[in-house]
Amino acid sequence: MATILILGAGISGHVAASHLRRKLSKEHQVVVVSPNSNYQWIPSNIWVGIGRMKSKEILFPLAPLYKKKGIDFKQAKAISFFPEGDKNETKPYVLAEYVAGENKGQQEKVIYDYLINATGPKLNFEATAGLIPGQNKTYSVCTYTHANHAWEGLNALIQEMKNGKKAKILIGTGHAKATCQGAAFEYILNVEQELRRHKVRDRAEITWISNEYQLGDFGMDGMLLSYGSNIMKSSEMVEMVFEDRDIKWILGAGVNKIEDGKTHYETLEGEQKTETYDFAMLIPSFSGHGFKAFDKNNNEITDKLFKGFMLVDADYTPKPYEEWTAQDWPETYQNPSYKNIFAPGIAFAPPHSISKPRKSKSGTEIFPSPPRTGMPSGITAKLVADTIIDTIKKGKNLQEHKGSMANMGAACIASAGYGTFSGSGISITTFPIVPDYKKYPDTHGRKLGKTFGEIGLAGHWLKLTLHYVFMYKAKMKPFWWLLPE
Amino acid sequence: MTQRISKNKRFWMMNPVWQFFKYLWLSLKGMLIVAGGHGSTRSKDYQKSH
Repeated sequence: MATILILGAGISGHVAASHLRRKLSKEHQVVVVSPNSNYQWIPSNIWVGIGRMKSKEILFPLAPLYKKKGIDFKQAKAISFFPEGDKNETKPYVLAEYVAGENKGQQEKVIYDYLINATGPKLNFEATAGLIPGQNKTYSVCTYTHANHAWEGLNALIQEMKNGKKAKILIGTGHAKATCQGAAFEYILNVEQELRRHKVRDRAEITWISNEYQLGDFGMDGMLLSYGSNIMKSSEMVEMVFEDRDIKWILGAGVNKIEDGKTHYETLEGEQKTETYDFAMLIPSFSGHGFKAFDKNNNEITDKLFKGFMLVDADYTPKPYEEWTAQDWPETYQNPSYKNIFAPGIAFAPPHSISKPRKSKSGTEIFPSPPRTGMPSGITAKLVADTIIDTIKKGKNLQEHKGSMANMGAACIASAGYGTFSGSGISITTFPIVPDYKKYPDTHGRKLGKTFGEIGLAGHWLKLTLHYVFMYKAKMKPFWWLLPE
Repeated sequence: MTQRISKNKRFWMMNPVWQFFKYLWLSLKGMLIVAGGHGSTRSKDYQKSH
């Protein structure tokens, strides 16, 4: 009998737990430890943030589902890792602390044979002074509670604008090395459309602020894509959309301080600038959770497991951008020191960014961190689950399941406005996610036929379909496993 | 504001009938790209040297 412990119940953790439970017999135990009581379909948060979807539509409680499916659920947060056990416990374990229920505050050693660290990122708001969701007129859409607050703030502003107020709206990244530009991009287009729906668009100045060097970088070094019969850069596509919607932009901005209605940022030229606003949605930087690890003699071994995020089979050798290769990116998501520990999704430490690193004249690094959200989170979680299942069933670590982000496609369906017949979406597929400049030297590291963009109503329907399909899948309803990640 | 999308283009972007067929095409193409598989990028020589 084996115990598989999964830390986190987001997209990655939940995908791993559901596949493990389905494919392993009941003699094996699947345990999920997560501080969150609900599963949330994060991509739909942007619609909560414009008041077009209720948060209850994008979440469901985990405990009843896990009880029904035979998954052991502990609403607790991981504190520290003991991959060799300790003097009293021979098996590896994670020390966790309950955050709710009658055991709240109590700590427990959760023993495992296999560990999947799917804790995702810490939303590191503290890295930017004054960036606090719901304060200083800044908001976030990273969680459904944040998105609810964002809608409250936006709705209040819309009502003031209906009474004649002119407003400045600022949306983008709230840190020099933030990622998830895609979510902010969706939000700015949705806000713009909602202002038109409320007939107050002419009273708003909307500005995109980002740590990207060019529009459309998205933390993926931009892309060259097919658009109809044309080939265009993602920067050109986004510029076309922004100009068409009268959205201004500020690029290469490392936001470093927020005051009430004011954002302070450094440019790549090294200048310190300020932008005022009446409503801002700024994505924070992501960081690891600061976990510590100890060996059986209680000596700290954190650097064997973590480098901010968890170390896996990536090539972490420091090298310049020109020497980066597709092979640097991990394939099995297995920790090199402890072969029974895996980290899919956002939890793994990337070897480097995907976008070209840039420094301001005063030495501040200003460029996007690499995204690993959504689709790659699900795919990597499933392949890790399959590796563990095969290892348990066949008795040895075969490492047959591999999936590098440099050999993996992704579909990014960016909502550009909500509405059955008035909505819009920008559908971009990219292959591979991490560009392979050696394999595809003439097309900016990607296969052109599989990297394309489309704009229109179909994109909105597709994004809405994905919402319902993935909620169905997450609820593990009949034949859920037939749906791809 | 600078009009960057022509009225004709916008008409097709928002035409429900045309977009329904686009929806089917995008769903199929997206599925083929994403579910089309993923794998290693490392050769045996690379694996031996690392």
